[in-house]
Amino acid sequence: MSELQPAYRQPELADLVEHDRVHRSIYTDPEIFELEMARIWGKTWIYVGHESQVAKPGDYYTTTLASQPVIMTRDHEGQLHVLFNRCAHKGAQLVGDDCGNLKEFRCCYHAWRFAMDGRCVSIPLEEGYADAGLTKDDPAASVRKVPRVGSYKGFVFASLSEEGPDLEAWLGGVASSIDNMVDRAPDGELEVVPGVMRYEHDSNWKFFVENLNDMMHPMIVHQSSSLTARVVAKRELGKDAPLPPALEIISPFTESYAFFDDMGLHAFDNGHGYSGGKNSIHAAYSDVEAYNEAMNQAYGEERVKEIFAVNRHNTVFYPSLTIKGAIQTIRVVKPVAVDKTIIESYTLRLRGAPDELLKRSILYCNLINSSANLVGPDDQEAYFRQQEGLKTQGDDWIPLSRDINSDEELEPGHYYAKGSSDLAFRNQLKAWKQYMLAED
Amino acid sequence: MGLPDALLLQHQVEQFIYAEVRLLDERRWEAWEALFADGGTYWAPAAHEQPNPEEHVSLIYENALLRKVRQQRFKHPNAFSLQPFPRTSHLVSNVMIDEEAKDDSPLVASARFIMHEFRRGQPNSYAGAYRYELLPIEDTFLIQQKKATLVNCNGTLTSSAMYF
Repeated sequence: MSELQPAYRQPELADLVEHDRVHRSIYTDPEIFELEMARIWGKTWIYVGHESQVAKPGDYYTTTLASQPVIMTRDHEGQLHVLFNRCAHKGAQLVGDDCGNLKEFRCCYHAWRFAMDGRCVSIPLEEGYADAGLTKDDPAASVRKVPRVGSYKGFVFASLSEEGPDLEAWLGGVASSIDNMVDRAPDGELEVVPGVMRYEHDSNWKFFVENLNDMMHPMIVHQSSSLTARVVAKRELGKDAPLPPALEIISPFTESYAFFDDMGLHAFDNGHGYSGGKNSIHAAYSDVEAYNEAMNQAYGEERVKEIFAVNRHNTVFYPSLTIKGAIQTIRVVKPVAVDKTIIESYTLRLRGAPDELLKRSILYCNLINSSANLVGPDDQEAYFRQQEGLKTQGDDWIPLSRDINSDEELEPGHYYAKGSSDLAFRNQLKAWKQYMLAED
Repeated sequence: MGLPDALLLQHQVEQFIYAEVRLLDERRWEAWEALFADGGTYWAPAAHEQPNPEEHVSLIYENALLRKVRQQRFKHPNAFSLQPFPRTSHLVSNVMIDEEAKDDSPLVASARFIMHEFRRGQPNSYAGAYRYELLPIEDTFLIQQKKATLVNCNGTLTSSAMYF
């Protein structure tokens, strides 16, 4: 036997995900990561940002799409665009900062100017291109647009592919999670507030999105924070004292298996899904009276009851966006390398709601999503240890088989299982396989 | 000793800050906690010139109750991300008194810091500005607020659990 023989025989791509197990290489192999960037992140709808981040004409906001720098802009006619952040001339990034407001873009290198929709406005000494037949009106002189852009109730997605389902069809059953977050605003509108937290994870992006609807981990991984919060509350405040908001947020992570089972999992096409429904770990937050009044006034009590009865935990818009509608925070997934991922956290204001609601969302974000927080680093540690553990020759396969035969089809394409099921995990990897095997 | 009052105050503030970060490096959390005034807060903003800790996310914003949760968590056997427990070394310099205490308003001091951390086999380095609001109590102080603003507080950060 040659010493150079690889640690395992690389199965064909199609064989990496089976119905009840997944091969470790999809988390560890840099070549598979490159393929994912082309076939998943380079094809499907990827979250770009929220329209409120470019509310005014001339506003721009920079981000990445499948690792490529892009700019979301609002032109002076009020139209939304997503452009590649690349000058049409020699390729320099047009803007280097996060966001701002401009009359037009001016490249730092040779001062080509572009309107906010990417159209070339002027080229210095344009006549120098006369023999080549290039003018500022030539499409080649304009900043290229990302092929497809869609907005669903303010959530802007874009796709690097010319083809594919339209955004609403692609969102399918999880569009209702955006609906419910919007419905929770008395004015029916959301607004991303300033302040983003960028948290580097030294692990594959899939561990993060898979974990969000893994209901078998919270009561284990979050013992050190959640159980401690309960102990400290009892000791410092007394046994039956009401919890302050911060501890109301941390304590429920160690609810019982039965509680998380009861939250349940919902899965849809394209890898999307959510946990919770009628109940979630966000359901028991104290009422804010002024908010309830504003909601009743806006919608009427009956409708408000319906809105608040939808109590979802995490919704995953596979692969790039996860939202918590009940607490108005979102997280955006940015894969960097096979073992490096940046998770960005944003907080949203419910327009028309008292400031207390935003303050609670901010408190939640601080406690759960900050890199220096009490809860998230233990999740991050679990992903890191998976990343390390799966480097071993201990076993090439990871089971997906919890409650494998008990999914319920509630309606066509909408599956339900109790929280402890591997349904979300299987559903995401089913989509992963479809994307990865699709013809180029 | 004949030291002018200003020099003495400067000395007291510096010694207080050095002692404060030393307690962090030596993991003497209870003694560190005792340095805070009632209602005292620890704040690590997530943006430069962040107006306040309520209306904008922060890396850390803790009152006494949350600090107790954090410190108690340090000792929890299942705090996996803290195994092995990180070690830190805080270096403080450029200590200046910006405002002296007056009536009910605290003394305000600023300083620069570097915190080296050794976590999970990796060295990490954090640098930034401290701003202290200190209430004079006899010959020492109590912290009304310690604010630690990292130079990269709005950048991409990895997991951390220690107080800067």
